[in-house]
Formats: sequence, C-alpha cells, structure tokens
Amino acid sequence: MARTELVSKAAKRKRAFWRTLMYIAIAAFFLWTTLPLLIMALSSIKEHRDAFQIPQVGDWLGALKIASFSPTFHHYTDLFTKEHFAQFILNSVIASGSASIIAVSLGSLAAYGLARGKIPGEQHLSFWILSTRMAPVVAVMVPLYSIFTGLGLLEPSRWRNLLGLILAYTTFDLPFAVWFMRSFFEDIPVELEEAAKVDGCSNLKAFRKIILPLAMPGIVAALILCLIFSWNDFIFASIFGQQAAKTLPVATSELHSTVSIEWGGILASGTLLVVPMLFLGLLVKKYLVQGMTMGAVRQ
Amino acid sequence: MAKVTLTNVWKLYGKIEAVIDLSLECKDKEFFCLLGPSGCGKSSTLRMIAGLEEISEGEILIGDNVINEVEPKDRDIAMVFETYALYPHKTVYANMAFPLRVGKRNYSHSEIKERVQKAAKILEISELLDRYPKQLSGGQRQRVAIGRAIVREPQVFLMDEPISHLDAKLRTHMRGELKHLQKVLESTMIYVTHDQLEAMSMADRIAIMDLGLLQQVGTPDEIFNQPVNQFVAGFVGDPPMNFIDCGLEVSGDSWNLINESFKINLPPDLIEKFKKKNGDPSSRPLEVVLGVRPENFVISGEKARGEGFWGEVYVTEPLGEDMIVDVTIPNNKLKLKTSVDLDIRMGNRVWLETMKNKMHLFNRETQEAYF
Repeated sequence: MARTELVSKAAKRKRAFWRTLMYIAIAAFFLWTTLPLLIMALSSIKEHRDAFQIPQVGDWLGALKIASFSPTFHHYTDLFTKEHFAQFILNSVIASGSASIIAVSLGSLAAYGLARGKIPGEQHLSFWILSTRMAPVVAVMVPLYSIFTGLGLLEPSRWRNLLGLILAYTTFDLPFAVWFMRSFFEDIPVELEEAAKVDGCSNLKAFRKIILPLAMPGIVAALILCLIFSWNDFIFASIFGQQAAKTLPVATSELHSTVSIEWGGILASGTLLVVPMLFLGLLVKKYLVQGMTMGAVRQ
Repeated sequence: MAKVTLTNVWKLYGKIEAVIDLSLECKDKEFFCLLGPSGCGKSSTLRMIAGLEEISEGEILIGDNVINEVEPKDRDIAMVFETYALYPHKTVYANMAFPLRVGKRNYSHSEIKERVQKAAKILEISELLDRYPKQLSGGQRQRVAIGRAIVREPQVFLMDEPISHLDAKLRTHMRGELKHLQKVLESTMIYVTHDQLEAMSMADRIAIMDLGLLQQVGTPDEIFNQPVNQFVAGFVGDPPMNFIDCGLEVSGDSWNLINESFKINLPPDLIEKFKKKNGDPSSRPLEVVLGVRPENFVISGEKARGEGFWGEVYVTEPLGEDMIVDVTIPNNKLKLKTSVDLDIRMGNRVWLETMKNKMHLFNRETQEAYF
C-alpha cells in the first residue's frame, strides 16, 4: 500500500501514456511490415479482377472486401506448367544451398582459428575479412564479370552459370559466416578444449567432438542467414545466372510481356520466394536464442 | 604412477618471466602442492606439465621420459580444472566415459561402464549419471570433474585449484576427501592452490612460489617451522606471522634484539643456530626483522619479567575457542592468537613476551632467514 501511494497519479498516467504510445508504434510497424506480405499472399490466390477491387478513398469498410473472394490456385499451377518454375526453383536451391554450405564449412574453420586468437595480426585479419563485405555488390560486379568470362563461366551452359553463381555467392557469404560464427566460438570456454586434449583428443578431434557440437546453434544460424542472403539475391543472378541458370527472383521479374504484366504469376512467385524464408527466419530465431555454454563451467 | 621432474624450466610470455629457472621433483605417489599468490607462476607450471603451455626453456620429465615435445593426449595425465570444464552437451556418464572413449587404449563397452560406475561410487555420484552438467550443483560438478580424471589410471593427476570455488563448508569436506582419494588410488598428484590451508592440510610436500621464483620446497612442517625467507614465513599461517624491525646487537656472548619497545636476549641455542648457518656476525648491530607467529606470544595484564614489552589492545576477534587480538606497539601492529578465556578488552594495556624457541630472524635487506 505504502509503495503505491508513493507513486503519484501523475507519474502513473505518464507511464501509461508512454506505454500506449509504444504499443501503437509497435502495431504500426507490424502492419507496415506484414500487410504487404499478406496482400501478396492473398492476391496470389485471387482472380485478376478480385485482386484489383480497390475501395474508394475514404471507404474504410471497403478494405474488408480483401477477404471476400473465391480462392483459385491457377496462378501457381501456371508457373509450373507454362513457365518452367520447377527448374528455376531448383536453380535457386542449388546455387544458394551450395554457396551457404561451402561458406559455413570453410567459415567455421576460419572463425574458430580467429576466435582462438593465436594468429599474428588476427585483429587486422578479421577486420579485413569483414571489410570485404562492406563493398557494394556493384563494385565487384565488373571485375567478377571479367574473371568469370576468363574462366568460361558465362558461356550459355546451366552448370557453368550455376558454378559462377555459387562462386559469387560464396565470396559474399564467406566473410559474413566467418565474422558471425567467430563470436559463437569465442563464447566456448577454452578449458573445454584443453580438457579434451588432456583426456586424449588431438586438436582436430577436440574440435570435432567438443567444439563443433557446442557451436552448432551458431553454425546453423549462419547457414540459414547465408541461405536467406543468396536466395533473395537478384543482381548476381541476373548477370551471372544468365538465361541458363535463371533463379526464382530473376524469373519473377521476367513475368511480363510487351503487352501485359502477369500480376497473378508475379504475386504467386513472390509468395513462393517468401514462404520458405519465413520458416527459416523462425528457425534461426530458435537457434540464436538457445543458450550455449549450458553450465559447462562455473558461472 | 610416476615421478615428475622439472629441470631448469622457464616460461616466458613475450618479455614477462612467468616461471624462472624452476627445478623440482615430485616423487612417485606423492601429494605435491604448488602454493603461491596469484601470478606466482604455479598455474603456468602445471599447464606446462599438462602440455597446454609450451615450455620456453628446460626439461620436464614424467617417469624417465622427457615430455617437452609430447602432445597432451600422449602424456598420460589427467587434469581437473578450476572451472571444472565439463562438456555441457554430454551427460555425467558420457563426461566420465569420454577419456576412455577417445584415448589411445581401446576399452570395451562393458569395461567403460564398469570403470565409470566404480569411479561414480567412490565419489558418491552414482545417481547423477544421467544428468547434464547444468543440472548439477557446484559441488556435484566438481565431483564429476574429479570422476572424469580418475576413470583412467594416468601417470599423474594435475589439479588446478579444484575446490577454490566451493563454499567454505564443502571445501573443508573435500580437502579430506581428496587427500583420502589420493592415498587410496596411490596416485602421484600435483595440486595447485593459493590457499595455504589447503596446501598445509593435504600435501606431502609443498613448493612455494612467488613472482615466478621457487622460494622453498619442503614438508608442511618444514615450511611452517623453518621458513627460508620472510615471504614463506608470511604466506603460511593464519593469521600470518608478525614481523618487527629491530637491531641485533652483539657484544661477546650476549646477543640482543633491540628496538624502541624491547630488548630481548637471545639464548645460546639460537646463537648457535645463527652461527651455524650464517657464521659470526660483525660486531656492529645488524638490521634484522624478528618474526613471531600469532600463537607464540605470552600475554599478561602485568609486567611479568624484563624481556617483554607493552602494547595496547586495538581490537579483539573471538573465534569460539580462540581469540585474535590486535595489539599496537610503537611503529607496528601485531596479531596475536590466544585463548578466548583471557579477559582482554579494547584499550587494555597488555604485557607481551615472545616464546624464544619459536622466534624467527630475517635479514632486513635480503629477507632471507637467519634462523
């Protein structure tokens, strides 16, 4: 009782005001970020004329019409029957999947080495690795184009072009993976590794048996984030993927002809692009919050 | 089991000398303590024996083999870390079985099970085998860490402050347990600690280090009763030894310790001891430091004999049976240990006499002990 009396009514009211303001801001941000996705997903299962039933200005109740339609999936089936989208999805999966796996496998070894800090000039090295990620993509585009031409990766061949894409994605995923995983390795107490060595492990065995399982949440998170980056990429894919190794974002952008824009197809394809990343996003959240040392050492 | 020998071992971190020209021998089946304040080089020494730090110079032998270039995994040692270093993703059973599974020798499943269960029984953690480290208390984790070390029969056990993070009661309990375990296993144990009580109560022999230098090696009794210098004398014992600056005046056979509060005549046996170790002092007074342990004073309310001095009680700390009494004398404050039954209060004037056969005398410049 005494305590509640100490907090004056004015202070209480002030707190409630700011709290309400905070919730309004969060709600606005939530709508701002999710409404476009919702509209996209809903419109992808609508006929063209339902999708463009836009209410008059001021007719707020008209917005509810967004939910009154009879669903159709023909935009989706068209993508696969008329536009070879199965192939484009596969291209996206191969390019982003391979690049992410390569980036994380090489990156985990590099990150571990940097985290243990026995490399001379280790600070400069890590900053240099990170700095390669700071350059805008277009800055490396011209030199990469010239290198890839020299390597024959831009010939009209699906596998050559895919290899080019994988290389391009890896150059951007690898520094991120190293930088991201480094902090995960740093959080693993050195004593665990030392204990493993005394218990009879070689360096590599200690890494494999003790360090790797403990860093797994970080490694999975890095893998998923690399996947998301490469999956969403448009600029590399449009230049290095060419026609032979077209990925989903590029194929989506090409869903128009000289006379019309395939809104239904674009929205369906957009949904196909977003949904897997949405799930991966939820997954990465789970791994990022997972506690890592779990009582290994006294805290 | 095997002995461990260090010959002229140095550890340098850049220009910093962490361990300086250390030569030691830990005998087979001995409980050997490395004792010293933090930064004295004791942990670096242990880590060099384990192979976790490179040996900058010198040689370390386990048994008769030089192990300078041998990988930790091939040294046949077991180590308990200050932080326990349990593998968090493994159960207690898997933690304890780990050295058997990854080691050079192949153990069968049933043999691993048998060994882990035996170790668990000794350490009374049999019912915890299915748990994960995070589900254990500090004391339980520490037992698991010890269990992981004893499932094998290594040449040497290395312990790096294994019980310093437990609460006081558990620490006292574990001191006894560890000492018992070492005797039962008949193992060679090198134990690092900063706690002199741990070292004194557990070790067969103690090596005291300070600032990278070995100060003294000896049994707890030797360390306590015959410290070689002021550092050792002050580090061991609780409360620590009192040091009083004074002069040594020699005139013929009469040797006296003199300062503004007292004049203490040295008995012939102490003079003999001094001469035996240091030769005859020159006739001019020597600058010396008198060392007296808190329990080696006789306290009384009135002047008993000539060879004592007055002090004023600064504070008293009763500890049940004993009492610590802080007494101020000119230019110094002394800590005394006495029976709690004595009626002494703050502000009282007390007459102090030293037990002459328990006195220590140090060179004020070099801090080396005269006796």
